Order: sequence, then structure tokens, then C-alpha cells
Amino acid sequence: MASLPLNDRDAAPPAGRVVNPASGRWESLAMVLLTLGVIACVAGYLLLRPREVGPPAALSWQVRSFDGLNAVDQAIHSALLPAGEEIIWNNNDTGGWITLEHAQKIVLPPFYRDAFWKGNGEVHWQLILPGSHQAHARTPDGEAASSAQSPSQVSQATQGQGAAVYYGSAGHLPGQSAYLLVIGHAHAGVMWANQATIWVHPDPNAPYPGIVKPESLVSKGWRQVIAYDGNSEIERVKGTQP
Amino acid sequence: MITCPTRRPRLRACLALLVLLPALALAGHAQAAAKKLKIGVTLHPYYSFVANIVGDRAEVVALIPGEANPHNYQPQPADITRAMTLDALVVNGIGHDEWAGAIVKAAGRSANLPIIQANASVALIPVGGDQSGAKVVNPHTFVSTTAAIQQVFEIARRLGELDPDNAAIYRRNAMAYAGRIRALRAQFMSRFAGLDLSTFRCATTHAGYDYLMQEFGLFVSAVIEPRHGVAPTARQLANTIEAIKKAQVRVLFAEKTFSLDLAKPIEAATGVKVFALSHITGGTYSADEFEVAMRENLETLAEAVEYTQQ
Repeated sequence: MASLPLNDRDAAPPAGRVVNPASGRWESLAMVLLTLGVIACVAGYLLLRPREVGPPAALSWQVRSFDGLNAVDQAIHSALLPAGEEIIWNNNDTGGWITLEHAQKIVLPPFYRDAFWKGNGEVHWQLILPGSHQAHARTPDGEAASSAQSPSQVSQATQGQGAAVYYGSAGHLPGQSAYLLVIGHAHAGVMWANQATIWVHPDPNAPYPGIVKPESLVSKGWRQVIAYDGNSEIERVKGTQP
Repeated sequence: MITCPTRRPRLRACLALLVLLPALALAGHAQAAAKKLKIGVTLHPYYSFVANIVGDRAEVVALIPGEANPHNYQPQPADITRAMTLDALVVNGIGHDEWAGAIVKAAGRSANLPIIQANASVALIPVGGDQSGAKVVNPHTFVSTTAAIQQVFEIARRLGELDPDNAAIYRRNAMAYAGRIRALRAQFMSRFAGLDLSTFRCATTHAGYDYLMQEFGLFVSAVIEPRHGVAPTARQLANTIEAIKKAQVRVLFAEKTFSLDLAKPIEAATGVKVFALSHITGGTYSADEFEVAMRENLETLAEAVEYTQQ
């Protein structure tokens, strides 16, 4: 152990002694700056981090199936989607439209009159065919697609728009809508050919709108249903287009 | 005829070429015709869907072992090897097979493996019951018939784009398969027709059955798992038991293979009757697995509804 010089031993030990850091007084400043730097980085990340894209917002004339429809409308919409796809495929293959009678044979919801149909308001469905394409109005089993309607009546109803429309009304459950499954017909050269769009009207007894072009439907209080589908969910989760 | 001896080898070579050329052309064509797409799938129902769509025109490859639980699956080296050989991969894509992305990435196929999002055009619905006010997407679109058909159509459409030569066959097979699924549904619908469904209240341990319930106009009052595949805390369990009592729920649907244990304390605390549904995950992959499992599910659902009518 090193011994202190005699004169130091005799002197009274100091009560406290300030030891200056070897590098001057920069440690504190460096710590403050480092802390501020970390705070700035975290704040910057929080402000600039890639945000998750929210689900597509519905326009004023649209409604989202995920959170804008009640359970009954949601169920009917869910059934109309694959039905629309099958109707389009069937039309591509046979040139005909699936009639409501044929829908009973192939047990196609929501047209098929089963417990689902009963439990979801017993909607009355009608098929309104493209008037300018009577030659195509034949079902896969060969029966006439709409024997009750004359070509002129059908033509008048669809205004030569080339759309096949499945119109559902008179559902009796509280809050239930009226429904339209509008399918553009490729041969008619319409812009939305071979695409199915689904529309709802808050009045379950809303009359058939006559003209099924979007602007006309909107003016009559119909709203297009936007499916919140898998693509939308992938977009929301990843924040990028799928 | 006299032929110059020096020209004979050249003539022979020409004749041989004439014979070989068509043979080579035919061989090339046969090879192209024999080349089948290898379609990977992540979940059991997708194996059934794709197998029924492609028939013998393509090969279906399960990405992970049949016994694996897709809720907490950890990718294995063999999965990565399989992913390297695929021509396309069919995924759920909305929360039930997130591990597939890791496998594809590890296989170095992120840039060149076509991913078929089975749910691309399916209208999603939220998880039933009280999810603290939030609307959370339910990824179990494959435990249903209508949403299953929508997925079959989407897969067939995308496969047709990848394999145009067989597109018409895929579409025809898809429609025939959809017809079978609908017939199965219709068979049970007739059983429900005479029942009063308006008072039916149920709870589920796993949020896997909203799409199935929707098809029959039934609704889930409570879900035991707070999040997909996550067991509840004691507090959450107590709250759910309270909710079940309050909603006068008489039936609890548990998952056949992995949540029956969770159902027992709830059964004891509330007096609900437990029925087991299949999540259609686990076991051997097969073309008819979906139809077999759905038939069992629909049978169970019918029994549960009939129980509440007593």
C-alpha cells in the first residue's frame, strides 16, 4: 500500500473532492445529445413509418358488405357472388342464362327455395333478360328462359342495355333490402360486360328500376355493394396492392 | 437406276433425317403434353378443391405435412424443398397460412412463384360474438359451402390463366364440384326447413364457423378464443362465461382436434352442451376430404339445432 507524504498525513482530510473527468465536461452533453437523438429517431419512425392501408372506403352511393350490411343482406350478398360467377360461366359456355326454374334444379342459392331462402326473408326473385338478345335466352336444359315475357316487354324492361338482371324484392325480415344482381352481357358490347354487380335498396319493395345503368340506379336510391374481399384484406395487412 | 456410290451416304443421311424429323417433333409434343403443373396448397380444403378442379391434368402438392396444425406451424426444411419445385401455390392469404410466405421466401421463389389467393373474390365477414367492438376478418372461409364454392371458382379461373390448354376442363370440373357441394348443402337445408332457427344461440371455442353459420341463418353469440388460435386468460374466460349465461346460449361448438379441452370448463360453468365441429385441418390430404368433413359438420350442426328445439 502506498504511503502518503508526512505533511499530507498531518493535514485534515478534505470533506469532499471534485474530480473532473479527463475529457472535460462533455459526457453530460453527449448523454443529452444521445438521448435527444434516440427520441428524434423514434419520433421520426413513428411519423414516417409505412402505414397500413385501410379498407377501401365506400363512396356515397356504395355500401361495404363487411360492415355496411345487416346479417341478412350480408348472407344474400355472399350467396349472390358465386351465383353471379356461375351464371356468367354458364352463359359463356351455353349462351343461356340460368333461369329461376333451373336454379331450383341446380339448388343455386340465394334463388333456391330452401331453409336459407326461408331464413333470409323469402325474397321474391325475378329474372329480367337482355331484350336485344332473345336468341341467347335459352337454358342449358333447353327450356325457354322467360316464357312469360314477350321480346318486346323484355326489351322495354332492359332498355336494350344488354344486361341480365336478377331482381329480388319483398323480403319480409326487419331491415332487409331489395336486391339486384346485374350481369353485363359480352355480346352487347357494354363496358361492364360479363361482370356482375350487386345493388341493394333500403326499401325491400322497391320497384324494378327499369334502367340498370349505374347513374340511373343511384338516382333511384340503389347502392352498389362493395365486397370486402380477400384482395382488400391483403392490401390492408400488407399495405400494398395484392 | 444407277446411283453414284459417293452420293449414297448423303442420300442415306437425308432419308434418315426425313424419318427422324417427324419423330422428334412428335416426341417434343408428347413431352409438352405430359408436362403437368405442380400446384402447391397450404391447407387441407385447398387440396380437395384443387384436386377436384384439375383431375388428372395437374399434380397437387401439399406444402406442409398433413398432421401439422396450421395455426402455429413452424416451417421445416422439407417444406422449402417442396416449394422449390412448384408451378403455383394456392393460399388462404387472409390470416390462416401466413407461414407460407416464409417458406416461399426461403425457397427463393418470392419473385417467380405464382400465388393464387383463394379468397381474392370472397366477401369476407367479421368474427362473430363480441370482439371488444372491433370487426376482425374471419379467415375460415373454407369451413362453409358458399364461400368454398367461391374459392373453387377463383382457383379454377387463376389455374386456367396459368394453364390455358386445360382452362375449359378446369372450369367444367369446378362447376361440377360446386354442384356436388351445393347438393350436400341442400340435403341438410331440407332438414333445417322445419325447425325454428330464430331462437338458436351458440358459442364457439374457435372463431372458425361464422361462414358456416351464415349459410343457415345462424349467428354466434360468443367466441372463447380472444384472438385466432390464442387461449383466453382467466379474466377473459370469466367474461365469456358471463356473456354465454346472459345470452342464454345452450350450445357450444368446439373444434374437434384442438380445442375440446377449452370447452370442458365452460360446459361445467354454464351447462351448455358441447358439439365438436371439424376445422378441416389435420390428417391425410385427399380429394374427398372436404366433402366428408363438411358432411360431418352439417350433421353436427343439424343435431345441435335439433337439440335446442327440445
